Amino acid sequence: MVRLIRKESITRRITRHVFLSVGAFISILPFLWLITTSLKPPNTLYSAPLLFPTHFHIENYIEAFQAAPFARYSLNSFIMSAGIVLTQTLFSAFAGYAFARIKFKFSNLLFFILLGTMMISNYAIVIPNFLTVNALGWYDTFAALIIPRAASVFAIFLFRQFFLSLPKEIEDAAKIDGCGKIRIFFQIALPLSKPVIVTSALFSFLFAWNDFLWPLIVTDSPQMRTIQLGLSVFQGRYGVRWTLLSAATVLSILPSIVAFLIAQKYFIKGIAGTGLKG
Amino acid sequence: MRNLTSKSGSLTPAFFRKEQTAAFLLLFPSILILGVFNIYPAFYSIVLSFFEWNGFSPDIPFVGIENYKTLFTNGVFYNSLLVTIIYSVVVTFGSLIIGLLVAVALDRDIKGKTLYRILYFLPVVTPTVASGVVWKYLFDPTQGIINTMLSYINIQGPAWLNDSAWALFSVSIVGIWKRIGFCMIIYLAALQGVSANLYEAARIDGATEFNILKSIKIPLLSPATLFLTITGFIDSFRIFDLVYVMTNGGPVDETDVLGLMLYRNGFEYFKLGYASSIAVGIFGILLILSFVQWKFTQGGEAY
Amino acid sequence: MKKGVVLLLFISLITVLSFAGVNIEFWHYWDGANGDKLEELVETFNEAHPDITIEPIFIPGSSIVTKIQTASLSGRTPALAISDIIKISLIAETGQLVDLKPFIAKDDYNIDDFYEELLVYGQRDNQLVSLPVSSSNLGLFWNKRLFKEAGLDPEKPPKTWEELVEYSEQIKEKTGKIGYELYTQGGEGTTWQWQVFLWGAGGEFLDPVTNYQKAAFNSEAGRKALQFWYDLIHEYEVSSISPWGLFGRGEAAMVMDGSWMVQFFPMQVDFELGAAVFPHPEDGVPATNMGGEQIFVFNKSEEEKQAAWEFIKWFTGKDIQIEWDKATGFIPVKKSVANDDGYVAYIKNTKRLLLPFVESGKYANARPPINEYPEISDIFSKEILKALHDRMSVEEALESAEALVNDILK
Repeated sequence: MVRLIRKESITRRITRHVFLSVGAFISILPFLWLITTSLKPPNTLYSAPLLFPTHFHIENYIEAFQAAPFARYSLNSFIMSAGIVLTQTLFSAFAGYAFARIKFKFSNLLFFILLGTMMISNYAIVIPNFLTVNALGWYDTFAALIIPRAASVFAIFLFRQFFLSLPKEIEDAAKIDGCGKIRIFFQIALPLSKPVIVTSALFSFLFAWNDFLWPLIVTDSPQMRTIQLGLSVFQGRYGVRWTLLSAATVLSILPSIVAFLIAQKYFIKGIAGTGLKG
Repeated sequence: MRNLTSKSGSLTPAFFRKEQTAAFLLLFPSILILGVFNIYPAFYSIVLSFFEWNGFSPDIPFVGIENYKTLFTNGVFYNSLLVTIIYSVVVTFGSLIIGLLVAVALDRDIKGKTLYRILYFLPVVTPTVASGVVWKYLFDPTQGIINTMLSYINIQGPAWLNDSAWALFSVSIVGIWKRIGFCMIIYLAALQGVSANLYEAARIDGATEFNILKSIKIPLLSPATLFLTITGFIDSFRIFDLVYVMTNGGPVDETDVLGLMLYRNGFEYFKLGYASSIAVGIFGILLILSFVQWKFTQGGEAY
Repeated sequence: MKKGVVLLLFISLITVLSFAGVNIEFWHYWDGANGDKLEELVETFNEAHPDITIEPIFIPGSSIVTKIQTASLSGRTPALAISDIIKISLIAETGQLVDLKPFIAKDDYNIDDFYEELLVYGQRDNQLVSLPVSSSNLGLFWNKRLFKEAGLDPEKPPKTWEELVEYSEQIKEKTGKIGYELYTQGGEGTTWQWQVFLWGAGGEFLDPVTNYQKAAFNSEAGRKALQFWYDLIHEYEVSSISPWGLFGRGEAAMVMDGSWMVQFFPMQVDFELGAAVFPHPEDGVPATNMGGEQIFVFNKSEEEKQAAWEFIKWFTGKDIQIEWDKATGFIPVKKSVANDDGYVAYIKNTKRLLLPFVESGKYANARPPINEYPEISDIFSKEILKALHDRMSVEEALESAEALVNDILK
C-alpha cells in the first residue's frame, strides 16, 4: 500500500493535534458532566465539581439498574434494534442501488416522493400509524416495533448517494458478460459497500436504540418496554432524579459506543479504495 | 461510456423488461413498507389539516382551509419560520464544514485517530434530551463553564440562552455540536471510496494539501454533500426536542422554531387539524428547498 | 367413569375460577416513592378483594395523555386511569368516561368530604367523571443560611409582598445573592406562579361568571401583580431573568415552589430549609395554586366498571388516603383527612416542612377547568415575558394577552 502522508513538520503536527483536541474537548463536555453527575451523592447535585468526578458514588449505578427491570428492557431494545438494523440496511441497499443504477420510469419522481415523506414530522404520523398497527393486530408485539420501521428513506438516500459515487466502469465488464442487474448488485456492488453498510447500520441502530415515542404508543405490557421508556422512570412528574438518570443514561449509551467502535474500523483507508480506478 | 451501454442495451425489449423487473424487485420491500407507514400517514395528515379535531372527541367537523388561514395570518408562524430558517442554515452548513475538516484530518494515520473519532462521535450517541439539559448548565450565566472560562480572560459573557440577542445563536451551537460527528462519519465513509492514487498523483504534480481538498476531495464528495445538505435541512427544520429542553422557544419567542409550534398545537393543545396544517406547511417549504438543491446539483450525479 | 367425573369437576372448577375474578388495568404516572406506595396499596386491595385484580401500569408522566388518546381511538383504554386535573376535561371529550354519580348514589358515598375546588374538574354537564386522589400546591421556600448571613431572623419568613421586597433587598445588600427567584422561563410554569400573585392581589384569571369564557386578568389586580414582578427585576433588582434552579444551588434566598419539593429539596440541597404560606399584598389575601391528579373509569363491561368503582371507593377512603398522603407528601383532598388529629400530629412532628402546604389548602384556587387552558397559559406567559424583557409595558402586555386569549375562547 502506498504510504499516504509525507513527513510533516513537527509544528504542523502539533497544530493539527491542538485543533483536534480542542474540538474533541468541546465535544465531550456534556458527556463529562453526565459521568460526573452519575457519580455524585444526590445532595451534592448542585455543587461543584461539574466536569471531573471527585466523588465515586457508584451506588447510583446499582440503584438505577434496580429501579426498573432494565435487563428485560435492554433485551427488548436489542431485539427491536437488531430487527430494524437488518431490514433497513438490506432493503435500503436494494432500493438505493435501484435508484442509483437502474433507469426506470418515474425514478426521480418516485425518489422525490420518498424524500418528501421524510419531511413530514414524526409527530404527525404517529396516530395513523398507530391505527394501522392496531388494525393489523400487532399492538404490543415486536412486529409493531420493527415492521413499520423496516424501511428508511434516510438509508435509501445514503445508499443511493454512495452507489452514485462508485465508478461505473467496474460494473460495465460484468454487464458485458451478460450479468443481470441483481447479480451485479450482489456480486459486485454489495461487496464494495462495506463502509456505507456499516454507516447505515450504525445510524439505524442509533435511531432504534434511542426511539421513545413509538415504543411508548404501541406497547402496553411491561414485558414489551424498551430501554428509553425505562429511563423515563427517573424523569418523574414531580422532579427528576438526576444522579440516577445520569447513571442510567451513561449505561444506556454504552451499546451505542460499542456499535460505533465496531463501525469505525471500516473507515480505514484502503478497504474500499483498493482496486478502484479514480 | 456506460450510458452508451445501457442505452443501447435498453433497445432490446427483453433486456428492457429485465431491468425494469430488477428495479421492481429491489424497490418492492421498501416501497411496500414506506407506502403503508410513511406515504399513507402523510396523506392522512394532509386530509386532517382540513378538519378540526382534538383527538378525543368523536366530533370532527370539516373546516375547509380555515386552519391554513389561521396559520398564514398568524405572526407566530412567520416568526417561527424565520427562526427555523436561520437555525437550519447555520446548523446545516456549520456542521457540514466542521465535519468535513474533521473527517479530512482524521482520514489518515495519525496518533490517537480512533480516540478522536470516538470523542467527536459521542455527541451523536448522547440522547438529545440529556444533551440539552447539560448544555443548559454549560451556558448558565453565573455557574456555567463557558462564562467561567471567559472570565479568566476578563470577558463578561452574556446570559446566552436567557439573552434575547444570543439565545438563537446558542441553540444553533448545540445543534452544530450534535451534528458534527454525523457529518464526519458520512464524509469518512465517502472518503473511503476516493482512491488514494488520485492524491498521490496530485502530490507528485506538486499540489498542496489545500489544493487537493479543493480540487479533488470536495468535488468527489459532492454526493455526500448533497445528502448532508438535504438531510441537514430536513432534520433541522423539524428540530424540536433540543430546543424544547433548552429554551422552550424563549427567552420570549427568539428560539420558537416551527417544530415547537407543531408540538405545542398537536401534543399540548390537541389541535390536531391545525397541527397537521403546520406539518403540511413545513413539508411544503422543505419540498421546495430540497427541489432547488436537487436541481442545483442534478441529484448529485454531476460530479 | 369416576375419572371422568373428577376431570369434569376439575374443568368446571377452573372455568369458574377464571370467570369469577375480574382483572383490570390501572394506568398511572406516579414514580419513585409514590409509585412504590401505590403498588403496595394495590396489593393490599387485591388481597382483600379476591374477586378483583388491579394491575397498576406505569406510564411516563409527560406521555399519559397521548397514550390515553391513542388508546381511546382503538378501544384499548384501561378500566382505570389518572391524569393531571387540568387534562380531565379533554379526556372526557372522548365520551368514554363513566359517570360516577349512579355509583355514588347507590353506595351512599360521601362526596361532600372532598374540597369543592377539586370537584369542579370532574364536572361535565350533569355528570361527575372523575374524583380527586392527590393534591399539591405552591408555597414559599427559604434558605435559612442565607437569611442568617444577611442578618435576618432565619425562622421568620416574609408574610407580605412588602416584607418580601424588604428582606430581599437586605439579602442582596449583605450577601450579594438574589433575594427572590422568579420563574421566568415561560409556559405554564410562569403562568401558574403568576396566578398566585394575581389571586393574592384579589384578581381572577378567567371570568368565572361567564363560565371561564372571557379573560379577567387585565384588571387592577392583574396590573398590580405584573408590575410587582417587573419591579422585582428592574426596580428593586432583587430578582433576575435567569435559568430556573438558583434557589437549589444556594444562589437565591427565596423561591415559590410546590409541596412535592418537600420530598426533593432536602435530598438535593446542603442548607437548612424553611417553608411557609406564600406572601400576599398587605391589602390582599393569602393564595395558592393547586395541582394534583384525579382518577376516572373508562366505559367497559359492567363487572369491570364495578370493580374499578370498588377500587376508587377504597382508595379514596379516609384511612387509605391518610396512609397515602403520609407516604407521598401529597396534600389531602378530603377535609376529614386534613382535620384528622393523627395526620396533623404526624405532619407537625415528622414533616414540618409540609405543614404550611396543608394549611394553604384552604386558600387554594383552581385553574380554569377548560380544554383551552394549556394554550391560554402559554400565550399568556409569552405576553407577560414581553413586559419583563422590556419589549412592552405592563399595561400593553396585559391588553395584548387579553385580546389573544379572548380570541381563543370566542
